[in-house]
Amino acid sequence: MHNQINNNMVMLIDDNEVDLKINTKIISITRSFERIHQCNSAEDALSYLNKNANNPSDLPSLILLDIQMPDMNGFEFLEAYKSLPKSVTGHISIAMLSSTLDFGDIQKAEANVFVIKLLKKPLNPVELKKLLTTGS
Amino acid sequence: MNVQTVRVLYIDDEENNLLAFKASFRRQYEIYTAISAVDGLKILQSVSVQVIIADQKMPGITGVEFFKSISETFPDPIRILLTGYTDIESLADAINHGDIYRYITKPWNDLELHNSIKNAYDAYKAKIDLRNKVAELEKTNDELNRFIYSISHELRAPLVSVIGILNLVKMENLYHSSGEYWGLIETCSNKLDYYIQKTLQYYKNNKTVSDKTAINFEKLISELIDVYSYSDRDTHFSINIDQQEQFVGDSFRIEVILGNLISNAIKYQRDNETYKKVSIDVKVNFQDAVISINDNGIGILNEHLEKIFTQFFKSNNHHGSGLGLFIVKEALNKINGTIKVSSNETDGTTFKINIPNAQPN
Repeated sequence: MHNQINNNMVMLIDDNEVDLKINTKIISITRSFERIHQCNSAEDALSYLNKNANNPSDLPSLILLDIQMPDMNGFEFLEAYKSLPKSVTGHISIAMLSSTLDFGDIQKAEANVFVIKLLKKPLNPVELKKLLTTGS
Repeated sequence: MNVQTVRVLYIDDEENNLLAFKASFRRQYEIYTAISAVDGLKILQSVSVQVIIADQKMPGITGVEFFKSISETFPDPIRILLTGYTDIESLADAINHGDIYRYITKPWNDLELHNSIKNAYDAYKAKIDLRNKVAELEKTNDELNRFIYSISHELRAPLVSVIGILNLVKMENLYHSSGEYWGLIETCSNKLDYYIQKTLQYYKNNKTVSDKTAINFEKLISELIDVYSYSDRDTHFSINIDQQEQFVGDSFRIEVILGNLISNAIKYQRDNETYKKVSIDVKVNFQDAVISINDNGIGILNEHLEKIFTQFFKSNNHHGSGLGLFIVKEALNKINGTIKVSSNETDGTTFKINIPNAQPN
């Protein structure tokens, strides 16, 4: 489906401020993306995506999605994401980024049609690069 | 007698017996009587009785047959059989098939029957108490597992952030900026992460039900070597896998077992060894997989060989957690596998594992 991921914008969804900061820094040091949009909740991310549905230049090409978050967790976000218009989901790739070692989480992430990869925290620049060039 | 009222159901086709029984026992027990098995069943469906007494000889159905017919629907009440004749064969049948607690010959003796009902009620109580205790224990156990599991998750998330910051420190070339402090923080963080991961493995092994997946040892072992030799690239691996047969087994546990052994083989090398080597041999048969992992590392003292699989065993001179091999053994127990270890100067240390092949055909 997706191969190479263009590098104009990445969206980070994570309730943990420290991790948002770390991942932003890693992405900017490696110059993987031109723009980084931080969301500290899944709800926040959904409303951003809805608001910019007709604004393709402000939509991310990649979302890095945390799993364990209060209120709406990563998998619940994916449920809601499903019903976004094709104009939004069409050019976004999603990778989950989590410290989970839970076998169930890993399998659920692999089974989800929108998730191209489950990355382990801490975000590894080599893994990120590989994801961007090969889409897996 | 207990303060609680004991509810007794008595089934007999002779009305006189029902009346006599009621007259004798109504002061001690809550008595329900039924003139037929059908009526008896109706009472069972609406009242929860603890003791059932049934006459053996009834038209259409014997007492034993009646008990047999309710063995699934009403397993809990304790059964007493009343027999008017001493037919050994029917009694043997009764005891073997009907879960009968006592049999009493007719005409009954009030005291004997009274004692039997009392004992039957005690047996009933013991049975229910035990069941409640088991349920309670299972619940506590389950809660404990879930608690430790979620705690480990919560502990690990901030630790992973720390490791992420360490990565940034390296990327920004600050690692050597404060003497050895960053290195010390890294060592401690990795150690803590190791403990948390082992704790998770241990509790997951306790809890997870066994799954059956086709396992490709070639792929699994090369992935595990990738993961564990990540920080230590000097070890030479010689891998010899003979897998003609399909192997089906518990993927989580097999990964845990091989992962711990491979990581140990890498970790416990001699610092001054010029050619660090680990050989892994796998032979998959129709009935099992035989795996041997050999290394030329520091070895295990003879007197320690017996103890290495016990929880928190650590030898003085090495800084293990005392969890890895314990988890290996626990995981093998869950999947009926076995492990043997030998260690000496000339051949190094060898772990030999045997895991049954759960192949269905």
